[in-house]
Amino acid sequence: MTIGEDLRALEAESLTAVEGATTLDALEEVRIAYLGKKGSLTAILRGLGALSAEERPEVGCISNEVRRALESALDRRREALERIARASRIAAEAVDVTLPGRGRPLGHQHVLHQVVDEIVEVFSGLGYRVAEGPEVELDYYNFTALNHPADHPARALQDTFYVRDLSGDTAVVEGESDVLLRTHTSPGQVHVMESEKPPIYVIVPGKVYRRDVADPSHLPQFTQVEGLVVDEGVTFGDLKGTLEHFVREMFGPDRRVRLRPHFFPFTEPSAEVDVSCGICGGEGCRSCGGEGWLEILGCGMVDPNVFGYVGIDPERYTGFAFGIGAERIAGLKYGVPDLRHFIEGDTRFLHQF
Amino acid sequence: MRVSLTWLKELVDVTLPVDKLCERLDMTGTKVEAVHTLGAALDGVVVGQVITKEQHPDADRLSYCSVDVGADEPLNIVCGATNFEAGDKVPVAQVGTTLPGGVTIKRAKLRGLVSEGMMCSPTEIGVGGEGSGLLILDPDAPVGEPFAEYYGIADTVLELEVTPNRPDCLSMVGVAREVAAITGATFTVPASAPAEEGAPAADLVSVEIEDGALCPRYTARVIRGVKVGPSPAWLAERVAAAGARPVNNVVDVTNYILFELGQPLHAFDLATLAKRDGVAAVTVRAAREDETIRTLDGQERRLASDTLLITDDDGPVALAGVMGGEETEVSEATTDILLESACFDTASISRTSRRLGLISESSLRYERGVDPDLASRASDRAAALIAEVAGGTVAPGLVDAYPGQRAPLQLRLRTGRVNALLGTDLETPAIATLLRPLGLSAEGSGDELEVVAPGFRPDLEREVDLIEEVARLYGLENITSTLPGGGGRIGGRTSRQRFVSRIGSVLRAAGLDEHVGYSFGDPADLDRLGWELAPDELLVELINPMSEEQAVMRWTLTSSLLRALSHNQRRGIADVHLYEMGTVFITSEGRKQPKERLMAAGVLAGSWVRPGWNEPAPGLDFFDGKGVLASLLEALGVERWSVRAAERSWLQPGRTAEVIVRGDVVGWLGEVSADVLERFDASGPATLFEISVPALLKAASKVTTTFKEIPRHPAAALDLALVVPEDVTSERVVSAIESAGGALLESVRLFDVYRDPEGVEDPERRLPEGTKSLAFSLTYRAADKTLSDADVRPVHDKLVRKVCAVVGGEVRS
Ligand SMILES: [Zn+2]
Repeated sequence: MTIGEDLRALEAESLTAVEGATTLDALEEVRIAYLGKKGSLTAILRGLGALSAEERPEVGCISNEVRRALESALDRRREALERIARASRIAAEAVDVTLPGRGRPLGHQHVLHQVVDEIVEVFSGLGYRVAEGPEVELDYYNFTALNHPADHPARALQDTFYVRDLSGDTAVVEGESDVLLRTHTSPGQVHVMESEKPPIYVIVPGKVYRRDVADPSHLPQFTQVEGLVVDEGVTFGDLKGTLEHFVREMFGPDRRVRLRPHFFPFTEPSAEVDVSCGICGGEGCRSCGGEGWLEILGCGMVDPNVFGYVGIDPERYTGFAFGIGAERIAGLKYGVPDLRHFIEGDTRFLHQF
Repeated sequence: MRVSLTWLKELVDVTLPVDKLCERLDMTGTKVEAVHTLGAALDGVVVGQVITKEQHPDADRLSYCSVDVGADEPLNIVCGATNFEAGDKVPVAQVGTTLPGGVTIKRAKLRGLVSEGMMCSPTEIGVGGEGSGLLILDPDAPVGEPFAEYYGIADTVLELEVTPNRPDCLSMVGVAREVAAITGATFTVPASAPAEEGAPAADLVSVEIEDGALCPRYTARVIRGVKVGPSPAWLAERVAAAGARPVNNVVDVTNYILFELGQPLHAFDLATLAKRDGVAAVTVRAAREDETIRTLDGQERRLASDTLLITDDDGPVALAGVMGGEETEVSEATTDILLESACFDTASISRTSRRLGLISESSLRYERGVDPDLASRASDRAAALIAEVAGGTVAPGLVDAYPGQRAPLQLRLRTGRVNALLGTDLETPAIATLLRPLGLSAEGSGDELEVVAPGFRPDLEREVDLIEEVARLYGLENITSTLPGGGGRIGGRTSRQRFVSRIGSVLRAAGLDEHVGYSFGDPADLDRLGWELAPDELLVELINPMSEEQAVMRWTLTSSLLRALSHNQRRGIADVHLYEMGTVFITSEGRKQPKERLMAAGVLAGSWVRPGWNEPAPGLDFFDGKGVLASLLEALGVERWSVRAAERSWLQPGRTAEVIVRGDVVGWLGEVSADVLERFDASGPATLFEISVPALLKAASKVTTTFKEIPRHPAAALDLALVVPEDVTSERVVSAIESAGGALLESVRLFDVYRDPEGVEDPERRLPEGTKSLAFSLTYRAADKTLSDADVRPVHDKLVRKVCAVVGGEVRS
């Protein structure tokens, strides 16, 4: 056999070996076997020096061809094997994407405060400020300045929590104290009107207290948002429009609103506000007691007597006020059947909102 | 107020169907709380007439009847009763009827004969009576008519919510007047004058009022020779329909008039009143010190000195307007009656009724206000009625003391004012037309009306009271909705309010759920927590708490969170992360209102999450609480804060710290001690923290954030492990490093704390006894160049020497 034939035989053999390599390591072994320092092709190439001058160019030419063919076969095979290796690595790293993710739980805001925030948001948009007041109030702010007569039943020990007065003052109402837990957020109205001049556009959220035994529909402590507007030219129509806007924002644009005349000592005319039942749409169903309407808040035009207490001229200014119960709104919005859920701190309740 | 529709229809010509009437009442301010349909249970029971009555062929005790119920064919009915004959009229329950007792009438075979209904006894249809005999009806009962209607028990009763400003609607006449005004129907006031004879009443009774302010009017009539006994059925039924228990004919008449006209009346047995020359001298006066009376309910009552009394010469005979006395009560033996019809001060009655816990139909009406003009008319009508149902003669004349007589109130109603307040565009005559059906006179033209409010509307005292009437009769639904147009207002929260709401947001982002607990506190929690108030601090006591456990206002949020923790744990929820923001209350001697302070507090127990498929769930401890606080303080921009070991009696010693901002203690955190957890029925470990919001606000307000250049050159990081005595805190080493670091030291971070495990023998020990190893990663950086090892090394070596000297440690080899 000539060297040329040897080379061709080696080429065929090496190419078969390349194709036969199934791993990158095996392929590297093939490369070393032919092209390494001690490789068989290398050995032949080294032997070229011994050839005659006539043979040398031809053999040199063939050997270069063989080397290039082998090198390119090695490259192709390496690429192919790398592709396979990558694919199997990726396959091995695949996960069940439906497994749960990692992460800390998100904390939930109490549903009552979500409701209060929503109310604040709606009225902020209408240009109302947020004011606050003390929870332990004076009788004057809670009752007297809100036009409650001295013998008003709400003042009774059985309805209002009284706080021991340590100032040494004698109570106006015998046996009771002039210091109490506010029974509504309305004292906030008086504080604002005492300290500011109209125009007043304000809401007062906060906790209020009444002597009720905790049961599905009563709590001795609940949450209210008071609203007060005092300005020139404010009308009952403005009150109605404002509350209609509020109700639609809270409950949705398709809900209807009605105002029924009512009585509150510190507003006149006064009204209760009903929203059409979300379940039956006003036809009457079990959840609205067949009425089609759900009572959600009380409101009215500020009574001139209240203006009298705070020194606002009722001939120049008129105003309206309203009081929204957050528990009532949350209860209706989410169908909470028992008010006690709001105060127990059961995380299974808190996590629902 | 319970309003029988049958009764109402006698007074006012109501033509609206019940649901429309209710809607009209609702929309004009008298809410209908419930509608009761009486007699509805007897649907299907009709008047029937027995045509034939034969013996049942197979049963001695049964008869087989053919009964006409007004249908095409008579019904065949098998009956067990014996007290009837052919031709009698009886109530018949038809097939399908369910009787009040729950029995449903079916077509049934009784001993071989088909029965197509049931003839009823009084008990079977719930109309009283006894025995098993049938209820035999009058011969003129119309066959086929629904029994309830024929028998007069079909009625609709409306339960009205009467607002405190409308005492007039606490009577049938008042409701009738209101219904007339809101529906346009016509209405009549019932009145009657008694036939009088014999000696004049003034010869038998005298009336004196000590204080006309407390008793504007007192009238007395005398009816002699009555026979006290049961009332006729119509009277008893009316009184019962209105919600009172029938007693006897005299008392029932007084109740009837109370419901009809709204005038409380009281009947005394004239014979039991002390006489002065044969005259019963009635005096209305306030109680004297230590006076007592035995009231109708048999109770001996000691009277407060401002209790208004009706007295005779021997002493109190009644609590004015609230309850009569036992000794002067009308009984079976009574023959002569003194009939009181009076008007008392609202506040006085309300005080007495509240103080004695006596609330009656009378006191309810007096508290709200009774028209003094009504007293005489009510007395006339009652006297006539007593004479009618109890016999006897009415003594001529009304003994009338009327110190409180007043001219009716004249009110000015400006049309412009009406429209300005309501946002309407009403004309003067239209306003007058709205008001007149209420019984108001409204005269005038142009832009003003002169309105006279009748005595039965004490709520109409001012122009605005009239505007309210205009609003409700015009219809709130007819007022156009608008929005206030005034300018010059800025809405939204204050920066303080935004800060407070930010605290909640950060705590939620940290994984805590918001709890809202009671503001009440249990004074026993002082002991449970071992809490000591400061020497001048006092808890805020409620005078009338709901319970011992809620007898004070809370002074910390700790108990509220421990209770919520316990609530969850007892329901099998182990992972509890709650925060609460709320007011706490503390007072001191001499204060009227307490100090109120907003606090933020949290509790952590269990783990953040349940162990997952790919993550463990380490138990939450002190450092999780501290981590939450660190996030909070960072988010609020409070930069210079630290903690130091402290003691709180409810927290575990050694795992308790105070939170300090600029030298002030603003709160605390720690793991709750085992004893305290047990007392709150909770289990640990549980970490609690509580922070004063005003203190945070103060600290945050001092911080001004300014931009710092972002480093452009890489940092060099070097580690340093120091062996220090156990009592050297991490904070002390860090501050030594920081102060020794110089300009190049950018930051220091603790990454490991190592102690030899317990019980390791000396040769095995890696650290000297009583020491620990703290490992820090130090970052050096220069603002203007990349630091080489040659730059950092000398600085670091110098730092290490200094720190070791300061904290008494050495580099761990
Ligand atoms: Zn409904």
